[in-house]
Amino acid sequence: MSQENVIEIKNLSKIYRDFWGRPKVQALKSLSLDVHKGEVFGLLGPNGSGKTTTMKLLLGLLFPSSGEISVLGKPAVDVDKNEKIGYLPEESYLYRFLNADETLDFYGRLFNMSKAQRVERSNQLIESVGLQHARRRQLKEYSKGMTRRIGLAQALINNPDLVLLDEPTSGLDPLGTKDMKDLILKLKDEGKTVVMCSHLLADVEDVCDRIAILYQGELKTLGRVDQLLESHEETNIRTSQLSPEAIKDVEAALAKHNASVKRVDHPRTTLEELFLKTVEESQARPGQRYVPPEQGAEAKTTEQPVASK
Amino acid sequence: MSFDPQPYNVLLALGHWLAVFGSCLGIAFFVAFMTGVASGRAGAVIGAVTSSFSDFFSTSCRRIGAVALLTFQESKRRKALYVFFVFAALFMFAGWFLSNPSNRPELQAKSYIVFVLTAISWLILPVMLLLSCWGVPEDIRLRSLHTVVTKPIRRHEIVLGRMVGYISVGTIVLLLMGVIGYVWIFRQIPDEAKPSLVARVPVYGTLTFINREGKQGSGVNVGDIWDFRSYVEGATKARAVWTFDDVSEQRVGDQMVLETKFEAFRTHKGNMEKGLLARFIFVNPVKNISLPGKPFEVKEYQDATLVIDRKMTEVDEQTGELKSFDLFNDLVYTDPEDGGNKLRVEVQCLDAGQYLGMARPDLFIRLADRPFAVSFSKSVLGIWLMMCMIVMLGVSVSCFVKGPVATLAVFTFLIIGQGMREFMGRVVTGQEHGSGLVESIYRLVYHLNPTVEIDDSAATKVMFGIDQIFKKLLWLVQHIIPDFGVFRMSPYVANGFDVSWEAAMVPCLLITLGYALPCLLIGYYTLRFRELEAK
Ligand SMILES: Nc1ncnc2c1ncn2[C@@H]1O[C@H](COP(=O)(O)OP(=O)(O)O)[C@@H](O)[C@H]1O
Ligand SMILES: [Mg+2]
Repeated sequence: MSQENVIEIKNLSKIYRDFWGRPKVQALKSLSLDVHKGEVFGLLGPNGSGKTTTMKLLLGLLFPSSGEISVLGKPAVDVDKNEKIGYLPEESYLYRFLNADETLDFYGRLFNMSKAQRVERSNQLIESVGLQHARRRQLKEYSKGMTRRIGLAQALINNPDLVLLDEPTSGLDPLGTKDMKDLILKLKDEGKTVVMCSHLLADVEDVCDRIAILYQGELKTLGRVDQLLESHEETNIRTSQLSPEAIKDVEAALAKHNASVKRVDHPRTTLEELFLKTVEESQARPGQRYVPPEQGAEAKTTEQPVASK
Repeated sequence: MSFDPQPYNVLLALGHWLAVFGSCLGIAFFVAFMTGVASGRAGAVIGAVTSSFSDFFSTSCRRIGAVALLTFQESKRRKALYVFFVFAALFMFAGWFLSNPSNRPELQAKSYIVFVLTAISWLILPVMLLLSCWGVPEDIRLRSLHTVVTKPIRRHEIVLGRMVGYISVGTIVLLLMGVIGYVWIFRQIPDEAKPSLVARVPVYGTLTFINREGKQGSGVNVGDIWDFRSYVEGATKARAVWTFDDVSEQRVGDQMVLETKFEAFRTHKGNMEKGLLARFIFVNPVKNISLPGKPFEVKEYQDATLVIDRKMTEVDEQTGELKSFDLFNDLVYTDPEDGGNKLRVEVQCLDAGQYLGMARPDLFIRLADRPFAVSFSKSVLGIWLMMCMIVMLGVSVSCFVKGPVATLAVFTFLIIGQGMREFMGRVVTGQEHGSGLVESIYRLVYHLNPTVEIDDSAATKVMFGIDQIFKKLLWLVQHIIPDFGVFRMSPYVANGFDVSWEAAMVPCLLITLGYALPCLLIGYYTLRFRELEAK
């Protein structure tokens, strides 16, 4: 592939251990994936599937049990790479006794920004996340959504090339969610790479170029959203509300063409379907894992026995 | 009263520091390397060590400042500065309990000074201990550190920033307390005690004794409660001999002030109205001059201050001539051995059958006094340095254990460092009988008391050999734990002395500096090699 990889993960495993070194949870099992420059990459998965763990490993907050990570061409534990990274943690882990201005000023200093730069940048960011009215209030008085916004501002303080967003829309109202999505798309337009993880499918579907679906620490699906959602086996026809007689008529018409109605219900987002399908399949067949496609071939999910690690 | 400031041996201390620091560093690297080899990642260990150099080279003051400022704001919002109000409240009422008009003036002054300095250190040290031991663990628990370490800040900058932050909080509080304490002493102290608020600058000499036969020897032990002082017998040839170094005109001036604090020990009542009589004899061994001064009285519990004029005269007993001597030209002599300008003062007791007790600090040349503010602020500086030590220890220990454990650990350091080092020293040097680890178990089992000799056999040789290793380890422990006793400078101030540079300030400064680097390294490496998840 010709794209430049911003993140490369090879056979990454993570086992959480307790104080005595005994394994508690295997949070990631031999994960391999690449993130290309300039794309919005979505990590999907139910709760506890290892999304946050992956993020933390990428940032060097956790150390892998095995496997290799390279971020912006450097190992994950390298501090220098942080110059170009913005990170929004799962919950905004900020200092609750600071106000918005002080918070941004503090993180600006950590990037060795001058006073003038810090002031300019924080004014700009506070405005873009819509916190002008609350910039002098301590974060402990903030609502969940407001903390999320200041967390995002903090992640963007250094104008990063790579933005890691852990559940960016959690706790945001619909308006805030929309703002967040717009912002992610704006970042993409600016040529930045965004990696976000979420279990809110609508968010992912709207903004992501490629997604990976994790289930219990295993990579189940990986690919471009439009390709993954393209289905040639079914045709969706969306109509206005039909009466039972009308449905019977339609069924008769379809039977003439040798087709059948599989399901009559209110429409769902297609990603939701894909997601549920993946999860259900994973539950039914635990050994299954995503295998990277051969050069040129289409990505698919194949059954293969997993060597237990 | 064994107030006896000894000059600090800087080179010896430096040697110890290098030995301890070097061996700890060596052990740490060895352990890290071996675990690396065991897990097949020896290269990673070496890489981590080399990369830490590049971390240290890219230190940024702005980032350290950011963490320091954050720490400051945190302490402020945690209301840590309220300890200052406790202090203020304490002072509003303390005057009632401290005044004791029947005491001698210098004792009155002493109780006020000791109270202020003790109150300051007892309030500020525990608060700083708690603050510094809880900062980083809380940061990890609340995961706010996650957001910080994903910025380009180096781990040692976090450690340093924390230390600087806590120290600046402490400094502000300490300064406020110091100023208030100083003003308070001046306002509360009774008028008659005010002259005791001075900072005398003493020049101590070395003390040897000449016994009653006139030979070099030691003083008499009169069986007093301790052996701090030795005694010379009255009306014999017994003398106490002080030799002062570096006595010059520029330093001493035209009048030399000698202060004494001798203790009288009477074997018979004598004249109870009057003190024992004693006199100085100035001796120049090079020119063979021996010039007796006027007799003076040694009163119980009182310091005697004698002013010696530069010009002294003596009537020659044989010729009846008046001979005059100059203190600096005739009596101060150049030591043929080390070339120093020395003054030798011998003290003789003149009352037959009575004894005069002396220890090294009992006679000193008193140079021009400094203002009380000088000694007071030096002793506040001592508290400040101790606070720095506690903050450094607290921050570095709290990088690898949680708050309560860190608090306990630093507190233990504090307790051991105050009083147990001396005992450990006796064990290490073998002065404490039967103190070996295996040896004492052996003695317990066989019911042998510590003074009973143990037979020399192969088994006991092994036993003593093992104990030697333990003693080496104990030596290491003894030298790892800081000597907090040095930081207590209130005895100087309370006794009306200036705080000596050589005996107090330099050791404190060096000890603090000596701990700075190891603490920083411990903090740095633990933050780098631990996952910052709350365990
Ligand atoms: N600090 C930790 N200690 C032990 N187990 C953990 C820790 N953090 C996460 N886990 C476990 O690892 C798995 C993955 O967690 P996580 O990555 O947070 O999931 P996600 O973000 O996808 O919801 C979960 O089973 C979780 O319980
Ligand atoms: Mg998560």
